[in-house]
Amino acid sequence: MASSVKAPILGCLAEGWRRVIAAPALSASLLVVTLLVALPMGRVVGGMIEQQLGSSLVAEKPAWNWDAAWAAEFAAEAQGLGKTFTHEIIGFGGTLKILSGIADNQPLNPTLAGAVAAYAMLWLFLTGGIVDRLARGRAVRAPGFFAACGGYFGRLLRLFVISSVTYWAIFKWWHPFLLSRVYDHYTRDLMSERDGLVIRALLYLAFGLVLFIANLIFDYAKVRMIVEDRRSVVSALGASMRFLRRRPLRAFGLYLLNGIAFLMVLRLWLELAPQAWDSIGWAFLVTQIYLLVRLWLRLAFVASEIVFFQGELAHAGYTARPPYVWPNSAAAEAIENLGHGRPPAES
Amino acid sequence: MPTCQGADVPFSRPPITRRALTLTLRLGTLALGLGTLALGTPDLWHAGTLSAAPVPPRAPVAFAPRQIPSPLSQRLANYSLRAALDDATHTITGDGTITWTNGTKHPTSELRFHLYWNAWRDDRSTWIQETRLGRTSMAGRPAADRGSIDVTALTLGAADLLPAATFIAPDDGNPDDKTVLRVALARPVAPGETIELGIAWTSHVPRPYARTGVQGQYYFIAQWFPKLGVLEDAGWNCHQFHAATEFFSDFGNYDVTLALPQNWNVGATGAEIKADPAAGDAARTNHRFVQTDVHDFAWTTSPDFMVTSRDFIEPGLPKVTMRLLLQPEHGTTEQVTRHFNATAIALRNYGNWFGPYPYDQITIVDPVTVFNPAQGANTGGMEYPTLFTAGSRWKLLAHELRPESVTIHEAGHQFWYGMVATNEFEHAWMDEGFNTYSTARAIATDIDPQIATVERYFGGFLPWAYEDAVWTREVDGDRLNAYRLVASFDAQSTPTWQYWPGSAGAITYNKTALWLNTLEKMLGWETTQKILATYFQRWSFKHPTPDDFFAIANEVSGKDLTWFFDAVYRSSATFDYAVGQVTGHTVAIQRLGDGIFPVDIKVTFADGQSTVTHWDGADRWHILNDASNTSKIVAVEVDPDRVLLLDLNRTNNSWTAEPQAGLAAKRWSLRWITWAEELLMTYGFFS
Repeated sequence: MASSVKAPILGCLAEGWRRVIAAPALSASLLVVTLLVALPMGRVVGGMIEQQLGSSLVAEKPAWNWDAAWAAEFAAEAQGLGKTFTHEIIGFGGTLKILSGIADNQPLNPTLAGAVAAYAMLWLFLTGGIVDRLARGRAVRAPGFFAACGGYFGRLLRLFVISSVTYWAIFKWWHPFLLSRVYDHYTRDLMSERDGLVIRALLYLAFGLVLFIANLIFDYAKVRMIVEDRRSVVSALGASMRFLRRRPLRAFGLYLLNGIAFLMVLRLWLELAPQAWDSIGWAFLVTQIYLLVRLWLRLAFVASEIVFFQGELAHAGYTARPPYVWPNSAAAEAIENLGHGRPPAES
Repeated sequence: MPTCQGADVPFSRPPITRRALTLTLRLGTLALGLGTLALGTPDLWHAGTLSAAPVPPRAPVAFAPRQIPSPLSQRLANYSLRAALDDATHTITGDGTITWTNGTKHPTSELRFHLYWNAWRDDRSTWIQETRLGRTSMAGRPAADRGSIDVTALTLGAADLLPAATFIAPDDGNPDDKTVLRVALARPVAPGETIELGIAWTSHVPRPYARTGVQGQYYFIAQWFPKLGVLEDAGWNCHQFHAATEFFSDFGNYDVTLALPQNWNVGATGAEIKADPAAGDAARTNHRFVQTDVHDFAWTTSPDFMVTSRDFIEPGLPKVTMRLLLQPEHGTTEQVTRHFNATAIALRNYGNWFGPYPYDQITIVDPVTVFNPAQGANTGGMEYPTLFTAGSRWKLLAHELRPESVTIHEAGHQFWYGMVATNEFEHAWMDEGFNTYSTARAIATDIDPQIATVERYFGGFLPWAYEDAVWTREVDGDRLNAYRLVASFDAQSTPTWQYWPGSAGAITYNKTALWLNTLEKMLGWETTQKILATYFQRWSFKHPTPDDFFAIANEVSGKDLTWFFDAVYRSSATFDYAVGQVTGHTVAIQRLGDGIFPVDIKVTFADGQSTVTHWDGADRWHILNDASNTSKIVAVEVDPDRVLLLDLNRTNNSWTAEPQAGLAAKRWSLRWITWAEELLMTYGFFS
C-alpha cells in the first residue's frame, strides 16, 4: 500500500548514516575484502619492481621517493599489469585518473578489468547481506548476514545480468554518441577552449544523467527485492521504476546529497593524499582511512535509499524478508495443512 | 534450513524534529557542504598571480623608412609576391615574380617547384599515405577539409612555361602525388645566371594539416606559394612532401603584399612596412611585409588576435622587437609574460652560446588551441623565419612547461633552421635535434627546476601536476623515454624522408639531443659550446651537411670523433652496458647492446675507497680483478657520471651489496595496491 507520508531526504540521509555507524564491522569487513582482492595483484607488481631493480643502485631513490627516470625505464620493459605502474598512481592524481577513465570511457588494463569483474561478483554476493542488515537496522551476526547473502544471491545475479547489459549499452553507444559524435560536431569549428569545456561538461552531465538514472533504478530494485522479498527480478525492476516515477525529485535529491558528500570527501582527499616521499606506513594508513570513508559513504548511500524506501512505503513491521520458517515449501505446507485438518488453499 | 536469530524490529520513521530545528539543520548542512566546496575550492590550475585583464591591441605603428642591410646570404631565390585572401571561399589568389640565380657550377634545363598544399588535395598523395604508417592517419578527412595549390601562370620573359610543366615523384614514383612540379626550360640557365619568373597561383586553404590552414577566421598560412627547390651541384634537391619531413629552400629576399579583410590583425615573416586600403576594395587592407636573407615566408591573420610588443634587450646582443599575437582567451598578463619570457630565454641563451639573432623583429603567434582532433590538426609548435607558432591552454599551471617549452623550442629554430638552414628532407636531425638539445639546455639554465609532469584529464581540460615526477634535462628535455621505445629503428644517416614514419620523430629529435648531450659530457660544455658556435657562425645563411658539422667538431675539439659519429649517427645500434656479476673481487661488465662506447667503471669498497677504470667498451664483456684493496666490494657502477645518455637501461649499470630493491618494491607495491583498491571501489559502484 502507498503511504501518504513523505520521508524527508535529509532525515533519510541522517538515518542511513546512523545505521552504517551502528554497523562498523560491515565497513571494516568490506575494506578487508577490497584489500584482499587488490593484494595478489599488488604482489605481482611488487615482484616485477623488485626483479627489474635487482641489485641496482638505482633502487636507492625509489626506496624513498618517486624516480621518474627509473619509472619510465620500468614502464618501457613492463608487460601486463606492470604497465599500470606509472606516476598516475600517486596522490590525488590517481583518483583523477580513475574518475577520468570512467568519464572518458577509457579501456582498462585486461588484468585490472578481470579484477573489477571479480570484485563486482564479490560485492554482488555480499549485497544481499548488506541490504538485509541495513534494512533491519540491528545486528544479525555473521550467520544471519551470510544466510541473507546466499539467499538473495541468485536474484541479485539475475539482476546483475540485466544491469551489466544496460551499463554496457550505455558505455558502448550512449557515451560515444555524446562524447564523440555530438562533441565532435559542436567543437569542430570552435575557437575557444572555454566553450569546449562547457560543451564537454554538458555532455558529461547528459551521459551521467542516464547512467545515474539506470543506477538509481537498479539500486531500488535491489532494495525492493530484498526488503519485500521479491522473487522476480522483472517485478522488482518494475516496482523500482514505479517507486521512482512517483517521487522522482526526492529520489534524485537523495542521490544528489550522497553525491555532494562524495565530493566533500574528495575535496578533503585532495589535501590529505600522501605524496611520493611520505613514509610507507603513513601513506598506507591515510589511504586506507580514505578508502574506509569511501566505503562508508557507499554503505550510507545504500542505507539512505533503504530508509527512504521504508519511510515512503512503510509496511508496518516490515524491515526485510520474513525469517525463514520450517517448512516453507508448498508441498510441505499442504502436508501440514492436512495434518491440521485445514482445507487445501483455493487455486 | 537456517533460521534467523531474534525478532525483527519494526521499522520506525526518523524522528520528526520541530520545524525550526529541521530548517536550521538543513541550512547548516547546505552551508557546510557549499562552504567546503567553495572556500576550499582548490586552485587546481594555477598558483600565482593571474590577471584576467585583457591585453589592449597594439597601437598603430608609424612605418619608418628601412635601411636595406648588407646581404647575409647568397640571396639566390627572391620572391616579390602579392596575394589576396578570400575569407568566404578560403582561397588565396596570388601572383608575383621570382628572381632566381643558378648558384651551382652547372647549367640547368629545368626548374622544380614545391607545391606542398597538393599533399592535401586527396588521399592518394605520398604525405597522406605515409601518415597511415605513423601515429595519426590524415586519410579520410572530409573533402571540405582539403587544400590544394594550382599554378595558373608561369612565365619567363615572354615564354609561357606552363605547357612544359609536369608533376613528378622523384622519391617514390607515386603518380598521384602532385607536390613537385618540374618545368622544362627552352634554354638552360647557366651557372651564375639570374632569371626572373612571373608566377600566378590559386591556393585553397585547408582546415589545418601540418600546422597550416584555417580555423574559423584564424588563418595560419605556410608553404602557400609555389616555392623553388634548391639546385645543388648534384642536381635539383626538391623532394616530395613527406609525413616525416619539413622543408628546404634557398635564402633570398621576400617582399610580400597581402590583401586581407580590413581590421584583421596580421603577423608575418619580416616587418610590416606599409598598410593601406586596397585599391578599389574598401573592405580590404594591403599589408606589405619585407624581410631579407630568409628562406621562407609565412603569415597569419585573424580579426581576434590581441597584439602586444616588447623589446628584447640583453647586454652584448642586438635589440629585437618581440611581437605577440594572442588568442583572446589567452589575453592575460600571465600568458603575455610567459610567452615573452620564454622567447627571451631562447634569444639570450642561443645568442650567447651560438651567435646573435640578426633580424630586427620576431613574431610569436599563439594558435587556436586544438583540444579535440575533430577541430583539425594543430597549427602550433612550428617555425618559420622570424615568426613561429607556440601553443598555450586556457588554464596554465605554475610548474608546467607550457607555453615555455614550445616557445623556447620554436624561437630557437630561428638559429637551427632559420639561419643554419639544413636540408629538412634529408637531415632533419640537424635542426630538430640540435634545437631539442639547445632547448633542454636553455630550460635547465633559466627555468625553475621544480617543473612537474602534467597530465590532463576529463577530455584534456583538467590539468594535474605530478610534482613528484620532476623534469630533468636528460630524460625529459632530451626525450630519452620516447627514444628508448624506437632506438633501433633507423640510422640517422638514412635520409629523413626514408625514416619509418612512426619513429621518425624520436630518431630525429630525441636521439640527436641525447648524443649531443653525451658529446657535451665527454668534451665539457666549454668545448661543446665552441664547436656549436663555430658551426653556427661558419654555416649561418648556408646549407651545411652532416659532414660539415662533423669536420668542425673534430677541428675545434682537437680530437678525431669519427668513432663517435659512426656509433651514434651512422648506425642504428643501441647501447646498453651492464654490471653482469660481482663475485669476491671479480667484476664482470657486459655490453648488451650492439653499440660500442668507452665507459668508466667505478668500484667502491667497504673501507670507502673507490677505483675508476676505463674500458673501451668494445668487447662483449670485460673482467675486472682488483685485489689491491682487501675490503669487500660494496658497489660497482658502469658509466658512473652518466656520460652515455643513449644507454637504454640505466638500471643495470650498477650493482650494490645492499640492494634496496625490496624496500622500493614494498613502498610502491603498497601504493599501487591502494590505488587498485580505489579503482575497484570506483568501478564497483555500478555493481
